[in-house]
Amino acid sequence: MSHLTPDELIDAMEGVLPSEQQAHLSSCLECQQQLDELASVLSEAKQVSVPEPSPLFWQHFSTRVTEGIDNQSASEWPHWLRWQVLLPLGAVAMIILALMIAVPKSSRPGDAPVALAAPVAPDAPASDDNWGALVAVVGELDLETASAAGVIEPGFAEQAVVHLTREEQQELSRLLQAELTRAKS
Amino acid sequence: MPHDSALAITTWTLNVVRPFDSAQGKPLGELDDTALVAEAAAGSREAFDVIVERHRRTVYQVCYRFVNNHEDASDLAQDAFVRAWKGARNFKGQAALSTWLYRIAVNVCLNRLSLKSPINVPVESTEHLEDVRTEGAQQALLREERAVAVRKAIANLPEKQRATLILRTYHEMSHQEIADVLGSSVGAVKANFFHALNNLKKILGSEP
Repeated sequence: MSHLTPDELIDAMEGVLPSEQQAHLSSCLECQQQLDELASVLSEAKQVSVPEPSPLFWQHFSTRVTEGIDNQSASEWPHWLRWQVLLPLGAVAMIILALMIAVPKSSRPGDAPVALAAPVAPDAPASDDNWGALVAVVGELDLETASAAGVIEPGFAEQAVVHLTREEQQELSRLLQAELTRAKS
Repeated sequence: MPHDSALAITTWTLNVVRPFDSAQGKPLGELDDTALVAEAAAGSREAFDVIVERHRRTVYQVCYRFVNNHEDASDLAQDAFVRAWKGARNFKGQAALSTWLYRIAVNVCLNRLSLKSPINVPVESTEHLEDVRTEGAQQALLREERAVAVRKAIANLPEKQRATLILRTYHEMSHQEIADVLGSSVGAVKANFFHALNNLKKILGSEP
């Protein structure tokens, strides 16, 4: 039989070696020597203790943990960044998404986003029937009106944005940037 | 009047115990670890304080074994508990709380050590005056020198071997528990333990 493997030597040191390997160990001087050396090192390592800190340290330690938790909480994102910015942004994103879904890509007019930036009267002529109909419905609908009507509930838009896929988020980002660039010009 | 005194004592007792009660109506100190984590996950800092008090010594000792000095060990232990508070909701109760805390502490230590060169790991002398009184001064000195050599040798082990040796030797964790902490298999833990001891033997054997 071959010599004990590292796993088996550990098992032997911990007294859980199967009987077959135990029989080998009993008759193999090389394995016995290796086992003795490992046990000796382990015994020496076990004697090295950790010095006990002073009782005063333990009193301060709990206070330090509490302070650490407080500091951690304070360094997280400010509360205002979560709602006052993300909610309107999410609402805008939802409107753009709704437009993307409602208007077929192939027939979307090139200047469609302009209609969003500057609301068009319901009877204004449009180059595409679907787009015109959509603009007629939402053209003058602002966020407050939509919220009051129950179309957009608090947190709804944010939730939707959070659940967008990576590709959808990239597309949303692209559309928002295009709108911002257009508005500036 | 005796009757009035008894009433006063009853009222006083209620006022003292009440603030430390858990949602289950028990004083926090009487709750087991799982119930305490549930309280902490629900936002109870008092419950978390009890957890810290129960486990701070063992967490500190794990950290000390890694870095071999009090300052770093106390920083790392503090960091481990802050992370535990933050992640209390993630504790599923599948393992013991101590195992979960060990895992956090070991990860904190390994992260810290990966930022430092192992050669720079300081080794504090822990010479105790009482040793000098009870043994001969020379014997105590030799013993302390050897302890420093062992600590230094452990500090120079590869990270996984060091973590395995520390958790198995000083915290008597099972191979399975160590595997859970380190995210490895029982076989890998045994192999790491074997190599850790073997390397220690070589390093200490080459000591003058």
